[in-house]
Amino acid sequence: MPFPVLSSILLSPVIGLILILLTPAKQENLVRAIALLSATVTVALSVYLCAIFNTADPAFQLVEHVEWVRSYGIHYSNAVDGLNLPMILLTSIVIFCGVLVSWTVTTRVKDFFANMLFLVSGVFGVFMTTNLFFFFLFYEIAVIPMYLLIVIWGSTNKQYAAMKLTLYLLLGSALMFAGFLYIYSLPGAQTFDLQTLKQNVSFSPEIQNILFLGLFLGFGVLAACFPFHVWSPDGHVAAPTAASMLHAGVLMKLGAYGILRVAIYLLPEGARHWAPVIAVLSLCNIVYGAMVATRQKDLKYIIGYSSVSHMGIVLLGISTLTPLGLNGAVFQMFSHGIMTALFFACVGFIYDGCHTRMLDELGGLSKQAPKISAFFIIAGLCGLGLPGMGGFVAELLVTLAAVSVYPWIGITSITALLITAYYVLTAVQKVFYGPLREKSAHLEDVGFLQFFPRAVLVGCLIYFGIFPQVFIQWISLSTKTLLGA
Amino acid sequence: MDWTLILPETALLLLCVLLLCLMLIRKTPAAGVLSPLMGIATAGVGLAALWSFGFSGILFFSTYRVDLFSQCFKLLVWAAFFLTVFFSRSLHEIDDGRRLEYYFFLSAAALGMMMMASAVDLLTLYVSLELASYSLYLLSALKNRGRDAEAGVKYLFFGAAASGVFLWGASLLAGISGSTSLAGISENIHGLIASPASLVGMIFVCFSFLFKLSAFPLHFWAPDVYESAATPVVNFIATASKAAAVAVLARFLMFLPPSPEFVRALTAIAFASMTLGNCVALWQEDVKRLLAYSSVAQAGYILVGLLAAGGEGFSSAIFYTAAYVLMNAAAFFVVSRVALDSGHDNPRLSHFDGLAERSPFLALVLLISLLSLAGIPPLAGFTGKWILFSAAMDKGHWFLVLWAVLNSVVSLFYYLTLVKHAYLEKPKEGLPPMALPLAARTVGLALCLSIILLGIFPNALISLAQEAVLSGGLH
Repeated sequence: MPFPVLSSILLSPVIGLILILLTPAKQENLVRAIALLSATVTVALSVYLCAIFNTADPAFQLVEHVEWVRSYGIHYSNAVDGLNLPMILLTSIVIFCGVLVSWTVTTRVKDFFANMLFLVSGVFGVFMTTNLFFFFLFYEIAVIPMYLLIVIWGSTNKQYAAMKLTLYLLLGSALMFAGFLYIYSLPGAQTFDLQTLKQNVSFSPEIQNILFLGLFLGFGVLAACFPFHVWSPDGHVAAPTAASMLHAGVLMKLGAYGILRVAIYLLPEGARHWAPVIAVLSLCNIVYGAMVATRQKDLKYIIGYSSVSHMGIVLLGISTLTPLGLNGAVFQMFSHGIMTALFFACVGFIYDGCHTRMLDELGGLSKQAPKISAFFIIAGLCGLGLPGMGGFVAELLVTLAAVSVYPWIGITSITALLITAYYVLTAVQKVFYGPLREKSAHLEDVGFLQFFPRAVLVGCLIYFGIFPQVFIQWISLSTKTLLGA
Repeated sequence: MDWTLILPETALLLLCVLLLCLMLIRKTPAAGVLSPLMGIATAGVGLAALWSFGFSGILFFSTYRVDLFSQCFKLLVWAAFFLTVFFSRSLHEIDDGRRLEYYFFLSAAALGMMMMASAVDLLTLYVSLELASYSLYLLSALKNRGRDAEAGVKYLFFGAAASGVFLWGASLLAGISGSTSLAGISENIHGLIASPASLVGMIFVCFSFLFKLSAFPLHFWAPDVYESAATPVVNFIATASKAAAVAVLARFLMFLPPSPEFVRALTAIAFASMTLGNCVALWQEDVKRLLAYSSVAQAGYILVGLLAAGGEGFSSAIFYTAAYVLMNAAAFFVVSRVALDSGHDNPRLSHFDGLAERSPFLALVLLISLLSLAGIPPLAGFTGKWILFSAAMDKGHWFLVLWAVLNSVVSLFYYLTLVKHAYLEKPKEGLPPMALPLAARTVGLALCLSIILLGIFPNALISLAQEAVLSGGLH
């Protein structure tokens, strides 16, 4: 039996979690070290995974299969293809940086890292499983620790935000749950295995339309699709830094990934039926998210709404149902994940130093703390789509596809980029330039330990911005297969 | 006759007789002696239940059936009985002078519940049902305060009325079919299954079972009894009694496959139970009342599996019941510790404030049990709900399943409220960390681990439940 890379990536945070639970709460440094070690292992394994991934094979690779509950068609099965490979890499990078960034957490250290590792094992599970039972199981595992992370370590209206986020996301997952069970009950199904379902079940057009709608709504909540995005800015703002990084960087991608992996894979006709609606909703995301961001006073809210806007680009790419658009969507999922993690890592640092995130109370940080300013500005430039950054390539692909499929929507989405440029540059100008304010006067710039994780994120943004073909090579065959081309 | 078949019942009966004799000579051993003795005796009953596990046979003129189905439920009832006896170690709500009575009625109720799992005749069913019920009525009124007696009396009156209705329904079924054994009824009733008389008969008989399950509209005793009875008694009612109710209901529906009208009635009951239980639980401040309404909602989920019927429906209901016993026992474990610590029999939400700081272990047990009740993976409650709802969906009850799933989200709100009190609120000034004896720690850990392991590795129990259903049916 070959070395089970995927299961090892999944088990690494699980083992870390168990070890942390067994560690006495007073040994804070040991807890941190365990978390860092298991995160490092996942990064190493994901990079190894990328290295051995065969870009010429459109089918599932490195399949691991264990029968779990035979009578209900529940199997523990993992596989990797072009869609989830970048997501696994993204998750491991973000958790690695997240652990380093939260080195400064001092309250209930053990509980904090235990929750982080629990959450991230759920995320890995969703990205690699090919069975609907485990998909749902890991999906909820990824959502629940978020409640505790926000409610214990959060800020700004945390109780309200945590409950709102949890109930919204679980309402979405309830729809998924019902949808999955309905698929199970269809004639010829009686299994939760994705590939068997694809082969054995013929979904009639009516069923495809209804099911796709249900699943899309379910996943759409987590992907922050308009009008179900309202939980996301509140949640991001209230969460502690590392949780925001994971949440905006990785968790929201679960929703988009679910649309690709489950909804479009099983129900291509339904997807075609609803694609124009998704396109319109995603345009609302892009324009509305950007417009609301221009009116925000809190730096974290700006990034929260920019995430809503950027997730709109992912959904727009998906709604084109062309290889070009899907490539762009997956690319955007990755680059937005890295970018927004960088954003939150910077804002978290500024908030820890200045105890405020209000634009009016900050100013002149670029002289006081040039490194953190540079990081934030790089993330901002990526956000507004500067060439040479990952975000540029992704947005270009999506826009090209959108203009050819839905000309009007595509053109309108381009104009929204101007709004993005406006709010990003305004925020940069207010926070980092101008006179030094009282509250920001005592901010000390990042030391090496805090410099390193942020530098890793910047490195990824620039690497994939300059060499996008590496990324496109991974995914292009899989997106084509997904669309049946 | 092979006595080993009914070894656990015999053991319990001997225990009852022994306790009765001690009561008659009016010699109450000190609590420090009685509790360990009861523990040993209970363990002995457990060994007996394990010994007779896998045996099968028909006894007492075909009125009593021992098969894998009944033995599974006996083990489950025993587990709940054992936990209750364990929780009773720190029982301060009942006078020391009444300890013997307390344990006597507890053992008698457990005996009745074990018999319920094996009864396949309307008469044995009635006798075992009454044995269990009357013991519980007395147990729930053993606390010596006016208001508690009120709840006990309420329980007694409604329970007696439900028994009366059961007898009425049983007389109808026996009258139509000319037999009191379930197999005989099932054989003779074929042509008459759709007749109004048999429908009414079946519904009336099920009334009594639904009363024990605390399903709507027979749930109203639950909040009062949960509120006023001693915590270990509530734990017993919430776990063992529910398991026994599922056993009889499943057995009854296996022998007499319900007509479409009857399924419709059960659907309505399940629907209403879930909705009412979850909605009312949202407003509760008293944690025991909250758990009572949560049990009404949980009864609705179990009914979803039972009305799906067939191998998958019944087996998933059995699996969920096992999970339910574990997670409810874990929840009551924490409630009883908090009640003990605060010196307040009815802990309110505010008594859980800062539990995570005062005892991280208890807070973890609470978290796991509540999340499992809410159906969050990777816990037993999640896997149980998944297979329950798969079975029901497979039979075409898509609306009920959708409703149940949405209900689970609603239920999460009040479960999380309790979690929030435990993890987020600060403990009141000057409260010391809570001490937890090693034995209690072990039991708590065992409950948590079994909830987690059952959630992640459900296959063994699911297969066992499926075999049990095969063995428990008509053929």
